[in-house]
Amino acid sequence: MNRILLPFLAYVAFVAESTIMQVMLPEYNGEGWLMVPRFTLVIILFISMYLKPQVGIAYALVFGLLTDLLYTDIIGVYMFSMALTAYLTSVFSRLVFGNVFVAFFLSLIGVTCLETLVFGLNSLVGVADMAWGIYLYDRLLPTLLLNGVFTLAIYYFIDKHLQKIKDRLN
Amino acid sequence: MPQFFSNKRLIILLASIIVLVAMIGFSMKQREELSWPEQFLKDTVGWTQSVFYKPANYIAGFFENVSEMKQIYHENKLLKARLDEYAQLSADYQELKDTNDTLKAQLDKQEDLTDYKIREASVIGRSPDSWNQFVFINKGSKDGIEPKMAVISPQGFIGKISKVSPFHSTVQLISDNDRTNRFSAIVQGNDRIFGTIEGYDSKKQKLMFKKIPMDAKIKKGQQVITSGLGEVFPRGLLIGEITEVEPDEVGLTQTAYLKPSANLFDLDHLMVLERKMETLDEDEFTKEEE
Repeated sequence: MNRILLPFLAYVAFVAESTIMQVMLPEYNGEGWLMVPRFTLVIILFISMYLKPQVGIAYALVFGLLTDLLYTDIIGVYMFSMALTAYLTSVFSRLVFGNVFVAFFLSLIGVTCLETLVFGLNSLVGVADMAWGIYLYDRLLPTLLLNGVFTLAIYYFIDKHLQKIKDRLN
Repeated sequence: MPQFFSNKRLIILLASIIVLVAMIGFSMKQREELSWPEQFLKDTVGWTQSVFYKPANYIAGFFENVSEMKQIYHENKLLKARLDEYAQLSADYQELKDTNDTLKAQLDKQEDLTDYKIREASVIGRSPDSWNQFVFINKGSKDGIEPKMAVISPQGFIGKISKVSPFHSTVQLISDNDRTNRFSAIVQGNDRIFGTIEGYDSKKQKLMFKKIPMDAKIKKGQQVITSGLGEVFPRGLLIGEITEVEPDEVGLTQTAYLKPSANLFDLDHLMVLERKMETLDEDEFTKEEE
């Protein structure tokens, strides 16, 4: 049970991004700014903070590929960006002491990194067409708010679970 | 200063950038068919999506209903007033339809651009990053759905089918910014004004209706419908209403902003339309030439 809990959690987050959150979000009501749920990424960031970098990168590659195949038209953008984000997060988390604030800020940095990479790559390809200023205020800040709240909401549960896995591995 | 990338890792990073570019190049090609692993993944995830989407939509719908209660009184008054008009309109409609049918029968004209066959489908999910405006529905090639079919919601035209797997398919909305996502459209009215719907202004939440001739007289409030000339969609699907007209950058054509008639964020039940009129078969042409 414990073994499949983490992949299962990541998969539920992945599906929830496209279903439950799409019904709940303010964009649904036609507001100008929009929040993008990045729950799978937040869970992957936690994994790469606590476990070995390889594990986090493996999760990032799998879920990045899934996102590419199912939710977008172009293969590779999310796979690359998520793997790079997971790697950078694991490097950063080795430098700083792990507690809830560090986890919170690392998760915000990770989400910013992914959003910006995806925005940049999509602009290069021509899928995204938005000015940087509008991107920053209408998209990035609300997204950070949503995912920050999600990070805090799952912190205690996922912290306990990942510590257990870490102890078992050692 | 710790070292982020050792030499080995730097090589891995560079190699993965090359792979990334190759993959983007591969997927930028217009692919009609999905490969079987993609179809399999799409269907598997599609089933879990439908498990999640229905209850979530139900709950959201409940809260929406509660907030709508307040407006119901005013709405009811307005609707009663409209009801009288409706009786007259439906009588007119019936009569016009009859005349149209008889005239068509006289002309021996069986099909025209407006005929279509409807297939109903439910939304099971939506692309979470709004760079890609995709909606997923629970009907696929087993139900007869094919790429490029037009999709409408009860309020109007919303997009086309872009990818199909056996049990699920992806709808590309008109608001998607992909450069191949273009539709030929006309302004409803006495003289037909042609143009193409190209792209979406996400700040204004308006569709851009471009390439309208400079001398065409269009004004606010006119309705825009699909032209049916692209060999794919039926004619006469309502796209939106003109809210703003301006000359384009070069000054040779005009650009109009449209308010989409369908709410592109609140999608629930959709209809996939298959055009009945035969499109020109290219094989026949070549055969005749020989």
